[in-house]
Amino acid sequence: MTTGFTPAQTSQWVDGFIATVERAEPELTDLDRRSGDGDFGTNMTTALRRTRDALVRNPPRDLGDPFETMSTTFLSYSGGTSGPLFGMWFREFAKAARGGEEFGVGELTEATANGLATIQRLGSAKVGDRTMVDAIAPAAEALERARSDGADLAGAVDAALEAAQRGAKGTSELLGRKGRSSYVGEAALGAADPGALTIALFFQAARVVVGRRSG
Amino acid sequence: MRRQFVNDPADLVNEALEGFEAAQRGRIRWNRDPSYVVRADSGRRRGKVALVSGGGSGHEPLHVGYVGPGMLDAAVPGAVFASPTAIQIQAASRAADSGGGVVHIVKNYTGDVLNFRIAAELLEDDGIRAEAVFVDDDVASDTGDGEGPGRRGTAAVIAVEKLCGAAAERGDDLDEIVALGRRITSGARTFSVALAAGAHPGQGRPSFDLADDEIEFGVGIHGERARQRHPFAPVRDLVPEMVDRVRDPLGLGRGEHVIAIVNGLGSTHDLELYAIHRELVQVLAKEGIVIDRALVGTYLTSLDMAGCSITLIRSDDDLVDLWDAPVSTPALTW
Repeated sequence: MTTGFTPAQTSQWVDGFIATVERAEPELTDLDRRSGDGDFGTNMTTALRRTRDALVRNPPRDLGDPFETMSTTFLSYSGGTSGPLFGMWFREFAKAARGGEEFGVGELTEATANGLATIQRLGSAKVGDRTMVDAIAPAAEALERARSDGADLAGAVDAALEAAQRGAKGTSELLGRKGRSSYVGEAALGAADPGALTIALFFQAARVVVGRRSG
Repeated sequence: MRRQFVNDPADLVNEALEGFEAAQRGRIRWNRDPSYVVRADSGRRRGKVALVSGGGSGHEPLHVGYVGPGMLDAAVPGAVFASPTAIQIQAASRAADSGGGVVHIVKNYTGDVLNFRIAAELLEDDGIRAEAVFVDDDVASDTGDGEGPGRRGTAAVIAVEKLCGAAAERGDDLDEIVALGRRITSGARTFSVALAAGAHPGQGRPSFDLADDEIEFGVGIHGERARQRHPFAPVRDLVPEMVDRVRDPLGLGRGEHVIAIVNGLGSTHDLELYAIHRELVQVLAKEGIVIDRALVGTYLTSLDMAGCSITLIRSDDDLVDLWDAPVSTPALTW
């Protein structure tokens, strides 16, 4: 039974996330075309490719390094508003992991809660505004519950993933009030928010590393 | 068809910054990556509050032209009409800080506001205090409902940089400078008109077309159209209408004092700008509004847009003293 991600596993998590988003790029781009200006997928994969290059140049040594590198890359290169917000999201994971030996349920819950607070403060988006917050908020709640129920790592990751996916899917029925989709209104209905979907992909990459709940 | 003096348009911002640095004889340094411009003179007092501004390129001489004694300590240029990144702003602020903290002067646009706010959080972890003054003087983008991104920031930012820069040189602390910046901003409004849009480097066409008999009334500085067209008219007819737009929201009345900025938006000639200022002087004289100080010229552009803006800023003795204090930057010196 694993109690937390080891340094090798946080690396695998980030590598897996990069590969997952690259595979999903056509879908993310298509969703963004229906709800925004169509550059979301390209911006994400450009920043993630730079992350991969930076990780090759400076291989991670600390538990938090993979998140730290991803955060700095997004804050350095990505324009628009969702890129810098993703940078701040990964930064909370770097902070929670920094100097630790493993990234367990406590760290995961803390990083997700702090990430939610930071993104809401900076982006002033609420639940229901059709943004990445719609995936993060239910994941944060699910993790709090999992932690107080004493769930193991796989159980907590599963709960976060399920909640984030449900939240992301739900954005297809929301009218945008913040972000790009606020300009197109009802034209975006039926398409999920690509930022929220990317948050779900982030938890999905975590689950691939820990494996499914054993029972 | 527009043409520009460029090599590869994608290299223009960096090539311009390289040329800008070379022209400053070592007084200003350009850091290439992350890109920012910082004072390199030795006259900076330990503990002086540092002033940092930034925003998209394409508005030159803003902001890099205002780096120097009496104004900014650093400026952070983004790509053309795009916010600089948080990491650029953080690096510039670290380079500018001399122990007194940093004031960020930010034109109110979603991307700029977000990246400066993120930079302030990153700086907090560096042990550097950064507070922002958001400049939102553009009357035409005032929706009045408090929803959305709010009024855009335009030429009043020059006054905020000049006046706060002087306050920092005389030794005001961070909280005083932030309060001063916010006071100037709340008493400042700008209205802009255009005869022709600017064209992006490497693009042959301007970002919008206008008929010969109309002007864009309430135009922005990023190639976006105004909500209104207006019939083309002589300056004696246009200027009073522009003044109305600026004066009313400020509630300026007889006997009140202002600092005025008549600014060219890129390709409007000084001859025209002085003619506009002449009209402004006459209109305000008629209304009993006193112009304490005026700045007339090309200080904030929207690439090669043909157009102008009129800014009025509520003034008082303290602001006049700060305005008159010496300043020595590439684009503003006295």
